[in-house]
Amino acid sequence: MISLTLTVNGADRELVVGANATLLEVLREDLLLTGAKEGCGEGECGACVVLVDGRAVPSCLMLAADLAGRPVETIEGIASDGVLDAMQEAFVEAGAFQCGYCTPATILVAEALLRAHPRPGVDEAKDALDGVLCRCGAQPKVLRAIASLMYGEGGA
Amino acid sequence: MTRYVGRRVARLDARDKVTGRAVFGSDVSLPGMLHGAVLRSPHPHARIVAIDITAARSAPGVAAVVTGRDFPYTFGSAIKDQPFLAIDRVRYVGEPVVAVAAATEAQAQEALAALHIDYEELPAVLEMEDALDPEAPLVHPDLEHYERGSHEIVPGTNINTIYRYARGDVEEGFAAADLVVEHTFTAHAVSHAALETHVAVARYEPAADGYTLWVSTDRPFQVRNELTTALGIPSNRVRLIVGYVGGSFGGKNTLIAETAAVALARHTGGRPVRVELSREEDLIASQLRVPAILTLKTGVREDGLLLARSADILWDSGAYTSNTVGVAIRGAQTVFGPYRIPHLRLLSQQVYTNRAITGSYRGYGTTQVTWACESQMDVIAERLGMDPLGLRLKNGYVEGDPYLNGQIMHGIDLEATLQRAAAEIGWGEPAPDPPEPHLRRGKGLAAMIKPTATPTSSNVVVKVEQDGQVAVLCAAPEIGGGQDTVLAQMAADVIGVPLDAVAISTTDTAVSPFNGPVASSRTTYHVGNAIKQAGEEVRDGVLDLASGVLGVDVARLDLDEGVISEHGVGPRITLAELLGSFGFEGHSIMAEARFTTAGSPLLKAEPGMEWMSSIFWMLATHAVELEVDIETGVVRLIKVAAAHDVGRAINPTTCEQQIEGGVIMGLSNALFEDLAVREGRAGVTGFLDYKLATMHDLPEIVPIIVESDHSEAPFGAKGIGEPAAAATAPAIANAIADALGVRITDLPLSAEKILFALEGDPPETTDRSSMI
Amino acid sequence: MKRLPPFAYFEPATVGEAAGLLAGEPGARALAGGTDLLVDLKSGKERPATIVNLKRIDGLTGVRADGESTWIGALTSVREIEQSDVVGDRHPALAAAAGVLASLPIRRLATIGGNLGRASPASDLAPPLMALGASATVESRSGAREIPVTELFVGPGETVLDHDEIITSVRVPRPAPGMGAAYRKLGKRGGGTDIALVGSAVSVVIDGRVIIEASVILASVGPTPLRSHAAEDVLRGSAPTDAILAEAAAAAAASAVPISDVRAGAAYRTAVSRVLTRRTLRDAVSAARGSAA
Repeated sequence: MISLTLTVNGADRELVVGANATLLEVLREDLLLTGAKEGCGEGECGACVVLVDGRAVPSCLMLAADLAGRPVETIEGIASDGVLDAMQEAFVEAGAFQCGYCTPATILVAEALLRAHPRPGVDEAKDALDGVLCRCGAQPKVLRAIASLMYGEGGA
Repeated sequence: MTRYVGRRVARLDARDKVTGRAVFGSDVSLPGMLHGAVLRSPHPHARIVAIDITAARSAPGVAAVVTGRDFPYTFGSAIKDQPFLAIDRVRYVGEPVVAVAAATEAQAQEALAALHIDYEELPAVLEMEDALDPEAPLVHPDLEHYERGSHEIVPGTNINTIYRYARGDVEEGFAAADLVVEHTFTAHAVSHAALETHVAVARYEPAADGYTLWVSTDRPFQVRNELTTALGIPSNRVRLIVGYVGGSFGGKNTLIAETAAVALARHTGGRPVRVELSREEDLIASQLRVPAILTLKTGVREDGLLLARSADILWDSGAYTSNTVGVAIRGAQTVFGPYRIPHLRLLSQQVYTNRAITGSYRGYGTTQVTWACESQMDVIAERLGMDPLGLRLKNGYVEGDPYLNGQIMHGIDLEATLQRAAAEIGWGEPAPDPPEPHLRRGKGLAAMIKPTATPTSSNVVVKVEQDGQVAVLCAAPEIGGGQDTVLAQMAADVIGVPLDAVAISTTDTAVSPFNGPVASSRTTYHVGNAIKQAGEEVRDGVLDLASGVLGVDVARLDLDEGVISEHGVGPRITLAELLGSFGFEGHSIMAEARFTTAGSPLLKAEPGMEWMSSIFWMLATHAVELEVDIETGVVRLIKVAAAHDVGRAINPTTCEQQIEGGVIMGLSNALFEDLAVREGRAGVTGFLDYKLATMHDLPEIVPIIVESDHSEAPFGAKGIGEPAAAATAPAIANAIADALGVRITDLPLSAEKILFALEGDPPETTDRSSMI
Repeated sequence: MKRLPPFAYFEPATVGEAAGLLAGEPGARALAGGTDLLVDLKSGKERPATIVNLKRIDGLTGVRADGESTWIGALTSVREIEQSDVVGDRHPALAAAAGVLASLPIRRLATIGGNLGRASPASDLAPPLMALGASATVESRSGAREIPVTELFVGPGETVLDHDEIITSVRVPRPAPGMGAAYRKLGKRGGGTDIALVGSAVSVVIDGRVIIEASVILASVGPTPLRSHAAEDVLRGSAPTDAILAEAAAAAAASAVPISDVRAGAAYRTAVSRVLTRRTLRDAVSAARGSAA
């Protein structure tokens, strides 16, 4: 077992985990942050994506032990005091989800995208979002949600 | 006038889902919970000679090891043919054989390596065509002795379903035809691939000798009944609790993760056991779309009038029947398409094979038969030199036409779907020249028809609490389709309360009123009608109460947005004030309703044929514009217009979600998804090779909502979930044929297949060993 | 959830320490990005007793324009390579390959050293690196050596490296005047970021009207990414006409030794090898003309 401090959603969390524990396991099982999901365990579906150092990465392919001291953001840290942030509001408005299983990851990807590029092109947005599978087919409305946030109601 | 129905209100589940707080089946965690893992068959067909569990039982953390003999029950909704864990024999690669429960999931997975099983391999039925061979091994030698429903089987064979239908004289129709075409089409098995894999937590309740299950399912009562029937116990001994479901698409409707969870829970002294399938298990050992081989022979007059069609369909249920029997009967019927054809003959047979279990899949057989029907319609149009749109318009059902059983089609508008989808892609206008010489452009369309399961029923309870809040109790799990929201919109309008005062309950079979499945695109119509009945009663109750309290004739009162008004006077009292005035005594107004489609005059048909009637019919047209790279066979979709006759959209946003999502699933199924099964084994193990469409693959998708007028539908709303995926594949194939002049008759429409069809070379079939 | 098996875990601070750990334990595996290794651990395909995480070693990341070559630390992520101005300016074919290696979240974790060490026949980075004449610096306790990427691979998952050798950097020579290179791949969904059914990387050096040097590489059509000397022979000394490019593409396809697997049939791979090579050659010729101008 390894002792480490993970910085999750701005708070330092002291943990004792196995060397073989993935970040996803630690988030879901030790920290009870179940917004990140496992859809495949192989990094292919992106349902487990969280932000590490502000960048969207698959938490199922990262060892928790490898992340000591690096800031981790999960969907649970996006709304503050129960108030949705602008991206979450945009997803609600556009109906940019269906079953909702991939929604936390999709929102985090979109958040990171807009932090890095406040005005991403459609291809850039698609490239970023390509890493999260959505079997329900919410993609058109996800693009609309992001566009509405950048360009106002209805998008561009 | 309605305040909420017809409006794009935000979904009720939105906040839970965008904050990550939504609790899905996979998120359920209970104190003392153990974790399961399942050892699966490596063989398509084998006898289990011996199972040695000694080492596994003493592996670290292991609490229980269970084999089929330890839990010797079988289940199945149409044929009770499936064991919880294999008993003495395995029938497909991936069949559960031994289940292990341990303190941690890692320990359970590790313990599997300590299990030792001796198999004696048996001759297997690996292809559905081979299953019909009189010499074929029997997948279920005891088929005729299984408990089953009233449908027809062929004892002593692998045929677990046989269904025949005929109308008119098909030979006479062919004789009168100017053109008779015959083709064989194949539709492949595809995975539902919901992002949430199958998962179940089961707890044995020793006092009741029953079980509580936390599951992700779209049909709580039917799964409960499947379980109690299998175990031979009364319904009140099993309780199913369903939270948010991470996608179903027809897949989460039988015992899948539940089998091992229940079998293990029986042996852990009341500690709950969680079993979650890995993606690989979900792909190979949950259930798949039923693959089919469809031979269609169609006779048509020179002017395009369809005269006769015979259809011979072979379906592959895989090793067990699951929910496939209805696919082979009910699903097969729509192979005649949304068209008036006087002379018809259908032979639909379903066989067992030693392959993965198949079952219901968004469309319940409609995607497979629509693939064949609509591909052939374009061949007919081409042979007659007719416009494919014109051919469909000429033969398509219109309001008042009789269906196959004489039911009068009501509340339908196929023509509008055809015209509007076609117009959206500029049908008839030449495609612009492609930007590169190796690219070709094409357009194609396809129509479809689908019934809903009929008759079925829904019960609901609607109650108004003292603070004016409304609770709708029903068993319609939110599987992603926006059920909660559209039901709440209808409840708010019927009762006269604000939308945010309405809550739709989650499902707990111990307390929820009965409902048919969240399947067959039936929820809006059936649960909606039940809510309408109960809601009206509640509203009447509120106004009666207000009449007494206010001393005003009830006819002068109205309830709107939770406020009771008197005509000519204005607002008098709020609902919360009215009920709150009862203080500690309490006053809740409640109504229950059962809605059934049985007995509706709309179902009237020829004598003995009413079972084929549908309370409503769903019609749609998808139109596709695409580009093909003739050097690689790669298809790029440019635009898909999808027009759906939904009756009325309760919420246009959720309606569009279904249409867009259906198109994406349909194009993904058609172009990319392939389990690459060889010798009974899937070649794919995960999403690395089982490819779902992603952002980069999506064309411009234009959802078109066509509204028709159905007299018995709640606010006019029919259904939308299933038809959305059905017409995409043939529309793509028709557009490919338009672009290239080649017709692909077997799914998927892979680039490889297209390239070789174009070049006229058969692809090599060398050994298909994995590369890395 | 798929669980990782237990293993001993080390975070060495130096290459020497890491090499020592690998040398001391035949079952040890080095961990870089982890995007392949962790998947193989979960599936049971690999079961090492020890994992040696290289990410705490200083000096293994970054991209530097280093005089006559570009230095890329082995632990540099594929995403950094994709976005690097140096790589974009000097080696656009490599940047292009990095940009389609996998989905973006994976590209952020995957590393160039891991991609080469993995020795996948379907590697996206190996083909352009081979076409560009890159070499890998490999270190162990006994010292360092430099191996041309064209000589790195032995078979699927196998390199010429000894067990205790670690790829520490990759060096890509600065392109000669008149050089152009290109990379394309075809995945199951046509383009995008799928694993390559066929990958094609080429480079040409054009002097005046004649190709004086050429490198033609194909991926996913053999046990390792392979070089088509026959295609290069066609190109070398010829003017880059459509006919010559087509002839070279046909020669490249003839060098392919694909198998059929769940992703594609051998015949399709061969057919696509020809098409992609012709297209990358066109891209490279036009890039070469641009660079010479």
